[in-house]
Amino acid sequence: MATELVKTEDFRSDDLRTDDLRTDEMIINMGPQHPATHGVLRLILTLDGEKVKHVEPILGHLHRAQEWQGQNRTWFQYQALIDRVDYLSGMFTSWAMARSCEQLDGITVPPRAEYLRVMVAEMNRISSHLLWLGTYLIDLGAMFGFPFYPFREREKLLDLFEEISGQRMMFNYIRIGGVHRDPKAEWFQKVRKFTEEFPQRVDEYEAIVTENPIFLKRTKGVGILKQSVAKDYGVTGPCIRCSGIPLDLRRTKPYSVYPELKFDVITYDKEGDTWDRYMARILEMRQSNEIIKQCLDMIPAGEIMGKKQMAGMRIKAGEGFAAVESPRGIIGCYVTSTGGEKPFRFRWRNPSFCNLSVLSELLVGSPIADIMAIFGSIDVILPDVDR
Amino acid sequence: MISNGAEIGKLTLLSLVWLTIVFTAVWMATWAVGILLPMLLQNGLGERAMLINEILRFVTPVVSILVFIPINAMFMVLIERRALALFTVRKGPNIVGPDGYLQTAADAVKLLFKEDITPIGADAVMFTLAPIVFFAPSIFGAVPLLAAVTNNHALFQVLNLPTGIFYVLAAASVPVVALVMAGWSSNNKYSLVGGLRSAAQAISYEIPLVLSIITICVLAGTLDLVKITEQQAGGILNWNLLGGGALSGIDKYLAAMISGQPVGSILQASYPFSALSAVATGALICCTIISFWLYLTGACAEINRIPFDLPEAESELVSGYNTEYSGIKFAIFFLAEFTNLFVVSSIATVMFLGGGDNPIPVWILDKLPLVPQLVQALRDSFLVQTLHLINPETLFSTLWVILKVYSLVFFAILIRGTLPRFRIDQLMDFGWKRLIPLSLIVFVIVVFARGLVNCHG
Amino acid sequence: MSTEAKPPAQPEAPLEPGKFGQFLKEHGISTNRLPDSCGVETITISADDLHQALKLLRSSQETKLDLLITVSGVDNNDTIDAVYHLWSYYNNDELVLKVMTPKASIPEGKLPEVPSISNFWSAANWHERETYDLAGVRFTGHPYPRRILNPWDWEGHPLRRDYKQPADDLNSKHRVSFR
Repeated sequence: MATELVKTEDFRSDDLRTDDLRTDEMIINMGPQHPATHGVLRLILTLDGEKVKHVEPILGHLHRAQEWQGQNRTWFQYQALIDRVDYLSGMFTSWAMARSCEQLDGITVPPRAEYLRVMVAEMNRISSHLLWLGTYLIDLGAMFGFPFYPFREREKLLDLFEEISGQRMMFNYIRIGGVHRDPKAEWFQKVRKFTEEFPQRVDEYEAIVTENPIFLKRTKGVGILKQSVAKDYGVTGPCIRCSGIPLDLRRTKPYSVYPELKFDVITYDKEGDTWDRYMARILEMRQSNEIIKQCLDMIPAGEIMGKKQMAGMRIKAGEGFAAVESPRGIIGCYVTSTGGEKPFRFRWRNPSFCNLSVLSELLVGSPIADIMAIFGSIDVILPDVDR
Repeated sequence: MISNGAEIGKLTLLSLVWLTIVFTAVWMATWAVGILLPMLLQNGLGERAMLINEILRFVTPVVSILVFIPINAMFMVLIERRALALFTVRKGPNIVGPDGYLQTAADAVKLLFKEDITPIGADAVMFTLAPIVFFAPSIFGAVPLLAAVTNNHALFQVLNLPTGIFYVLAAASVPVVALVMAGWSSNNKYSLVGGLRSAAQAISYEIPLVLSIITICVLAGTLDLVKITEQQAGGILNWNLLGGGALSGIDKYLAAMISGQPVGSILQASYPFSALSAVATGALICCTIISFWLYLTGACAEINRIPFDLPEAESELVSGYNTEYSGIKFAIFFLAEFTNLFVVSSIATVMFLGGGDNPIPVWILDKLPLVPQLVQALRDSFLVQTLHLINPETLFSTLWVILKVYSLVFFAILIRGTLPRFRIDQLMDFGWKRLIPLSLIVFVIVVFARGLVNCHG
Repeated sequence: MSTEAKPPAQPEAPLEPGKFGQFLKEHGISTNRLPDSCGVETITISADDLHQALKLLRSSQETKLDLLITVSGVDNNDTIDAVYHLWSYYNNDELVLKVMTPKASIPEGKLPEVPSISNFWSAANWHERETYDLAGVRFTGHPYPRRILNPWDWEGHPLRRDYKQPADDLNSKHRVSFR
């Protein structure tokens, strides 16, 4: 169990330590002002030498009362806020909310809008993974070299997003009933150009990182996430797929136009370590690139909005839960409506929140240097945790 | 296909300008204290100037080092930031001064004026002493190197020691005490872990470092830095990097052949056991190259640079031992780190890369057109004859030293821009299970192979 | 609070139990079926049966609802619900399980009590802490029943309909916080 102190006997045997050389344990407060906690996570670590005995994550430094705001904003207002829940993959939070409201209201989304949603979401997945790749290398101590290269590609993606939504990170592009704007023809040209260049860039990254001996030493066999543990903690996303469960909502509970697209769920038949999670994300980036290519070929012409968006819009009474597969896992939205101007209750199911809870299980027994290697490999965004 | 040629050009220009500034300033200061002042005193005071001259002889090297270290650290920080920016498709500092040339000068001023904080619960004496203990050895340690890198210039001869390299290594092992002091006295757990890590790391990596140096000393037969440099004179074949003098025989043979002298027994004298000697030569060359690599690895760990920067691992320990330091104390740590980088590069230059020797063998250099005339013109010029501003013997060797040392520094920056960090247990494994056995094997092979070939010693 | 906020309309006649309702009934656990939420079976269950029902649903071969998506607390105007969204890692089944505590049955100044499932399902640990923190449902038997998103000394439960913002309190100069 997460919160129970692990017994001392487990640690006495595995070290050089003998009984006549007993040492005190040290409690370290890691964060919230720590360079590598990805924002403001606070970990209370109990260390035995450099080995972690117990971890207690303390959350809430970024709590912005997103659910409370959901009850106190109109549907239209709240839509603009939810990109902030997970600022690296804003398309997915918007999409989850849009799907849940469309389910409730029975809105059908025009096919062009669905294709556009898939495209921007997959682009967003790539940009999120790229940022993860850069910061993960920083977590491993490659402070200055490689980490900036993924940002080069991410910059191109953000420019593309800016072109269609006017924003680089808080897009507010996917709306209830469709998408906000129909991009111009040149935009599709640019996306195609990007998809053609991108695989070579990933090859470049892999050439530097994948077989780097120090990188392998730091990641192979570190932070092994057992399947039973992962299931117990409700882990989703690349982390669970690396632990051998092919749970990818795009395939297992297909939504939007994913059934029409060709791709496979990336999964390993073993218990994944941090290197596997790195590799899975690299493969996912390539896969997303292929999906975007297919969308570019298949996108039909037509409407982009199923229901007119306006300030006083209402959603039919009822309740529903809808989820999409974000770069970090299942992002879900449980919405209750009474047919009024404002939602009755908004509840977010955030992948980072659920994946982070497994951290205390993963870290126990690892040296202090691996904390960041493991924490980084789970790919947690703190605003997504704290909401 | 170089897409960032303009940036590379800017970086080169920046290095050239800054190097000119650094070494002009250092040489002007040294010249003023060591040559101009005695000259003026001699004219004014006559015989009575003897005592002052004696004192000035000792002061001169210290002045040159004290002038050199801060300016050089500024330059190295700037070049490191700009070079890393170049490697990582960024711009780097380019606002302060023309194209960012004065960025680090501004940083230095900022650090000097920042508040100097001693945390509550810190051991104030230790806390203050730690940066000093960290910094001082890099000054003392650099002193015997001065004579070696300036081709035994008259101004710096006074500080040359017969056991130079021993002294340098002894001085280089002091800073670890300071790191433990800093870590312990900061009253911060990250600092403490950082300090303990640095102690463990320095102890483990000093062994391969010193063993690789000893290998060279065995080949050279001396501990005197100036002698080691002089032995390596005469082109790349004489450098310790390539067998520590095992190729000198070939060098002499080629020189004699080209100048048309009898080659008779030159090879026989150098390689007495023909076939065995050839094998030994090959072994020596391999061993010295491995030693050089061992030295670079150990030095990287010794001065806490990526991939061995565990004592200040930012993603784990915030900033390690210097987490709590601010203002001028932090500046001193910073200064000392870069000075240490320079010092280990200089040791590598002197021990392995022939000090101020040019890589082109003498028998080629003499055949080149214009070189002797140029040297002669320089020798006759006003600067040399009247003001003693330039010493032709020292000038070229100093230029070569600068080139070699900063190439090594650049190499360290390149490494920093490429590799992730080791984990502490992997670091220890690497040190004790790989590097130390390897360095011992190399040492033993060199001891035996040396008897079969005529080396420097 | 919004004046127009009303609970979703309750059905008049009891509905036939669905797949999971039938399954639980076979194992001697009585459930009430609510109208489906967007096509997903929704049932209510009494707090006493919760442990057993979830254990059954999670581990039995027929259901295999082994992915606990969320535990959420909802303040309907006359009940306080703990809502469990259960999914499966292996198939497409979904189930919404609700424990409804009527506000009338809660003593003055107390929180509604629901047994905690975090002892056998670690995923629930943080969700229950969050539900306690924001919606004010006390999970009895939780190993670490502390607030998770708000500061530990926070007063009130922000997602309750009767919650007052401590605006003045926040501006006070001499607040002592444990964080």
